[in-house]
Amino acid sequence: MNLDALGACLATSACVVTQTTSGLIVGMLLFLVAAGVTLIFGVLKIVNFAHGTFYMLGGYVAYTALGATDSYTLAVLSGAFAMALFGVLFERLLISRVYGSNVLMQLLVCYAAVLIFDDVVKIVWGPEFHAMGMPPAFQVPPLFIAGGVVPPFYAVLIGIAALIAIVLGLGLSMTRLGKTVRAAAINPQMVSALGVNTTALFAIVFAIGGGLAGLAGALAAPVRSLSPGMGFSILIESFIVTVIGGMGSIAGALVAALVIGLVRGFGTIGFPQFTDGMIYIVMIVILLLRPQGLFGRRA
Amino acid sequence: MSGLVTRRTVLAGGAAGLLAAPWVARAQANTLRIGMQSILSGPIALLGTSSRNSLLIEQDRINAAGGFLGRPIEFVFRDSKGQPQEAARITRELVNSTGCELLIDAEASSGSFAVQEVVRDLGTIACIHTNSETSSLTADPKIRAPTAFRVARQGVHDAVAGSIYLADYASAKKLNKWATCSPDYAYGRDTTAQYLQFFKQFKPDVEVITDAWPKLGQPDFTEVITKLIQAKPQALFTLLYAGDLSAFVNQGNVYALFSQMMVATPNVDYPVLAAIKNLPPGIQSATRYLETFPDTPANKEWGQAYLKRWNERPTNWSWQNSVAMHFYEEAIRKTNSLDAKALAAALAGMKINSPFGADGTITMRDDHTTVGYAIGWGQTTPKEPFIIDVKPADWGKIIELETEWKKQQKYI
Amino acid sequence: MKGHPALRDLAIAAIVLIVVLAVPAFHRSPAFEDFIIRLSAMALFASSLNLLVGNTGMVSFGHGMFYGFGAYAFALTMQMTELSLPVAAVLAVALTTFAALCVGAICVRLSTDYFAFITLAFQMLFFSIIISWQSLTGGDQGLRGGIPRREIFGFEIGSQLRLYQFCAVVAVLGLLALRHITTSPFGQTLRMIRDNENRASFLGVVLWRARLQAFTIAGAFAGIGGVLAALFVSGAYPELADWPNSGQAIFAVMLGGIDSFLGPVLGAMILLALNDVVTRFTEYYGLVLGLVILAFALGLRRGVLDFIRLARPGRAK
Repeated sequence: MNLDALGACLATSACVVTQTTSGLIVGMLLFLVAAGVTLIFGVLKIVNFAHGTFYMLGGYVAYTALGATDSYTLAVLSGAFAMALFGVLFERLLISRVYGSNVLMQLLVCYAAVLIFDDVVKIVWGPEFHAMGMPPAFQVPPLFIAGGVVPPFYAVLIGIAALIAIVLGLGLSMTRLGKTVRAAAINPQMVSALGVNTTALFAIVFAIGGGLAGLAGALAAPVRSLSPGMGFSILIESFIVTVIGGMGSIAGALVAALVIGLVRGFGTIGFPQFTDGMIYIVMIVILLLRPQGLFGRRA
Repeated sequence: MSGLVTRRTVLAGGAAGLLAAPWVARAQANTLRIGMQSILSGPIALLGTSSRNSLLIEQDRINAAGGFLGRPIEFVFRDSKGQPQEAARITRELVNSTGCELLIDAEASSGSFAVQEVVRDLGTIACIHTNSETSSLTADPKIRAPTAFRVARQGVHDAVAGSIYLADYASAKKLNKWATCSPDYAYGRDTTAQYLQFFKQFKPDVEVITDAWPKLGQPDFTEVITKLIQAKPQALFTLLYAGDLSAFVNQGNVYALFSQMMVATPNVDYPVLAAIKNLPPGIQSATRYLETFPDTPANKEWGQAYLKRWNERPTNWSWQNSVAMHFYEEAIRKTNSLDAKALAAALAGMKINSPFGADGTITMRDDHTTVGYAIGWGQTTPKEPFIIDVKPADWGKIIELETEWKKQQKYI
Repeated sequence: MKGHPALRDLAIAAIVLIVVLAVPAFHRSPAFEDFIIRLSAMALFASSLNLLVGNTGMVSFGHGMFYGFGAYAFALTMQMTELSLPVAAVLAVALTTFAALCVGAICVRLSTDYFAFITLAFQMLFFSIIISWQSLTGGDQGLRGGIPRREIFGFEIGSQLRLYQFCAVVAVLGLLALRHITTSPFGQTLRMIRDNENRASFLGVVLWRARLQAFTIAGAFAGIGGVLAALFVSGAYPELADWPNSGQAIFAVMLGGIDSFLGPVLGAMILLALNDVVTRFTEYYGLVLGLVILAFALGLRRGVLDFIRLARPGRAK
């Protein structure tokens, strides 16, 4: 514990700006992954244990696409679209066979997919880790805002993720598809009875979830290492976000992801040894006091 | 297709081994099997695959020279997936069921401690640990096993060598305010403490103004990097390695970390160099394996042969496994036997010629661990040979301080 | 199917035990003996999980916590005290039972998915404590230095044969006890909760109390499995308490059959055999295991024993 250091940090604008940026970047990328987990759970009542795999594959696809096209934008787009497509296939070929089974059967199928694709990555890209490298456009010195350090690359990533959060939020509340999705989350039988093609709806939800995770993996590829099995820690973190925010709530996922990002950003100064333990304890406390999460609807 | 053929052959061999009476099996088994276990799958599979690659080169070389005791050798590779209980099981299986007569334990630390217990239990097999750098494996007399040896770098040697180099460097550049950033587990914590202890001994006015302990395999180090930048140290010491080091460097570049402080790490090796696209120049690093250190034709030749055969550069683990086979070779030649006790007696105190020795030789000391291997520190450069101005460590000093440390730990 | 079911179970257990104990007298195979030792630990672990999953309908993702707890409690007791092996083992299991009671008291009121997540969170918390409390547990390096092999009544557990006999006896007795619990009125209450908790509640069952009892018992048996695992590796390692280990138990339960008492034992056998065979031929163990799991999950859609029972309706319950 070093609360003096935390106090000193909070008193200077430089430290606040720098640590907030670092919290935002961790939080926003986490949100992109967790949004898919929570959306899929909300609509399909499936806990997608394979979501970290989407993130991993998104990063690897972007890595290869960058090699082929030499364009970071194309690399990111191909990572996202490939995973949207992969999400649909995953839903059609595997998940659709375990609707209505108990959660263990879903876990079994998803975990099998995790095992398989970790090895597929190893076969295709090799067991060693890779790094994508920073796109030349972003190889520039960081900006200084109010004395704090803000790298342009991270500012752009935060902007993209925020844009997606807004589009997702507006899409769910304004569009017909969004309303159907929300209705399906509350009462799928009724939605189906009203003549909505739930098969297509479920595939679309998986496409969105997969695409977002792939996008996160691709966006982060220039700064994070790619290695087989890298999806696991992201998966656990996005579960924590989903549980804290409320399973099925996009707004909850956003808030929880930012909270976790900021707890990391400032926790590393105030209580570096205990940030992980803190997060698990927060998760347990929230499950006990408000099992439906901060923003969840009571079942 | 070749995979299929080998698989069938192995299946057939396995079935024959099960069916045939033991004496028949033994008469047929002219081939000398050597068990090798390591982490061959998962995120740190590179540990195992680069060890295996090196051993396959050794297998060809030894067989071309007539094998051991006139018998061709053959490695039996097993994947422990890095789990100690699997490691223990596999050791028993290799010896008891597969009929291996020698062992190469290429596990990471926790696996090698599990193997150590099994080897002690079995009592009748020689084993060389090739990848575990944790000093206590052989330094602690309670943990040392009579027929188990280590051919690998060792934490305490690296710490002494690194501290001496860094103390000189820090004095020359007047770097007194340091930060540390190491993975939050036993290796990171113990080794950082060891480095700092020696470092302060050589340069008492050094001050550690902040420390960060990211989790192993943590995908994002941003908050750690920003914390380090805010503390404004003059220099940073880090024990991050492999993918974590690569991510740390890439994320550090985003914050221009490397222009704000000097960075020192013992862990820049070829896989890291291959993965990092924008390697900042001037990082102070040890040479885990480097083709140009020691700068001898033999070392260069070995590195190039490896590169040619596997289309990638060797790792630190590659040379360690190669040297382990050299020790076995020499011990068997001397004793003319595979008996564990005879081999152990021959190995203790043995000195062999090696391209990886600081003076062209490596010695297996009486306490079952190697000394005299090449340790050097230099600075990184984005192009080949990647680390330049390498200064070799002083082994006399290393041994002196190691002995002091062992006394402190009550090992001697 | 005639006669007293408890007697029949006892008879089966006795026969299995006699056969297993007799094998080394005819043929010594270290590989087979190692397999049985590991199976003993794993079978108890998976069967105890099935008391929750199959019998009570409580899906725990964090059961490995108690397996790891038992292993660490036992190994630490052996290293730090002079207690004899059986006393240390009983103490370790008692501690694990108490831990399960405490965790259970917090968790059991939550409904399905939330229960799964909170048990997972507890396991992660426990795992991170093992990793960070290095002075006690050895951190990620595990508890080293071996477990002292103290003689008990001239029974020295150090040798492989003795360990084999010890594990076989403990596992068979443990499974018999679990079987007894499953078939007892308490076991029937648990199944009633699984099938219809409202009905159980109307009939006067205090849901949380029954669930907490099941959770505590399951934790205790997982702890026994952990003790055996610690004896086999002669130490304790954080992997024993890590999430993938809970996953292994879940796989064993699902592969063997959730509705059959011996399902998890068979599942454990399949997993161990698969591991031992596949890792000999390929480093893509995950790929093979994943495909096998998919074949079971999507092909059979249930565990092997459940599948066989359904395919032979004459013998269905």
